[in-house]
Amino acid sequence: MLLGTVVSNSIAAEQLPDIELIVPEQQVDREYLGLTGASGEKFTLADIKADILVVELFSMYCPFCQEEAPRVNELYERLQELEEHRGIVVRMIGLGASNSAYEVEHFKKTYQVKFPMFPDKDLSMYDKFKGGGTPEFIGCVLKPAGESLIVLRNSGGFDSAAEFMNELITKGGY
Amino acid sequence: MSYQPFHITQLWGGTMIRILFVALLCLIWVQASGAKEATHQHYIYNPGLLKPIDSTLKVKVGQVAPDFSLRAVSGKDIQLSSYKGKSGVVLSFVPAAWTPVCSDQWPGYNISKTLFQEHGATLLGITVDNIPTLHAWINQMGTLWFDVLSDFWPHGQVADKYGLLRGDGTAERALIFIDRDGVIRDITVNDINKRPALEDIIASLNKLDS
Repeated sequence: MLLGTVVSNSIAAEQLPDIELIVPEQQVDREYLGLTGASGEKFTLADIKADILVVELFSMYCPFCQEEAPRVNELYERLQELEEHRGIVVRMIGLGASNSAYEVEHFKKTYQVKFPMFPDKDLSMYDKFKGGGTPEFIGCVLKPAGESLIVLRNSGGFDSAAEFMNELITKGGY
Repeated sequence: MSYQPFHITQLWGGTMIRILFVALLCLIWVQASGAKEATHQHYIYNPGLLKPIDSTLKVKVGQVAPDFSLRAVSGKDIQLSSYKGKSGVVLSFVPAAWTPVCSDQWPGYNISKTLFQEHGATLLGITVDNIPTLHAWINQMGTLWFDVLSDFWPHGQVADKYGLLRGDGTAERALIFIDRDGVIRDITVNDINKRPALEDIIASLNKLDS
């Protein structure tokens, strides 16, 4: 029985959770996120240099995340073009729910994902984001300390990367 | 919309239970007629937290793997000994169809075909469910590249031969790594509530190379 359509809605004044991650080993990932710390050091989401951050909650084992991967890659490419044409900087990261670092890397390699992905083996980050299933996409407007807000949640994925991007930047105030 | 699995997660608390239900949460969504729509999450049965292991192994590393013949969902009859001299075999026993951890174990293997091929291993999935149940269950995972075998009748005979049949008639969550000569090179019987990590499977596959 089908119960309804994909959930995509704006969130009223939900603050970006305080999440600590390890600075990626790859220089290209550090540059993408605008991180100045060395590989292995810690950083928080608020340290990412961007106007908007998109967080994907996913799992290597989730068939729907696998199916969504090409559209997510398309979103990444469209966001790169957006920066070139309009100067809006949107960065993406993935958090692998209950996945090990090896499993996250396997997913990234399999689908040639270009944005950084991090393991969330104990689901602590998934919980802080109040994850409601995978895949889930969370759009956050990044502001100075303590003022970053979640403006969009999409549970289940999107049919059109272009439409999702437009919704994201509109709800982000652009 | 009510997310029943999430409510269960909140009520029970604890990291282990949350991990158990991530698979279930993943199954909220399906692709239907080109549009994403929510499906009935109650297709997946919640067995709760189970006794981690409920059987005694009857096989050990170094012995020849007990032979068997089982029917696959594809219709083929598959005999283990037919792989002797041709390829290694990984037997992936999972407890039951339509349960949370099992439902997100094989989709992970479905994007790991090359990892098995690199070690010359054929992957065979086995449960104690009957063919129609397995047909419905694996079709909602997508198209699996490996054969799934039904150990339904005589019920759980192969699982029992390996010492992997639990007291309630389900199988353990276990992996048996068999080399090209038909000899068992590694065995992992997991806590039934947890999914084995991919890197641990790779470590076991490495043992087939030596």
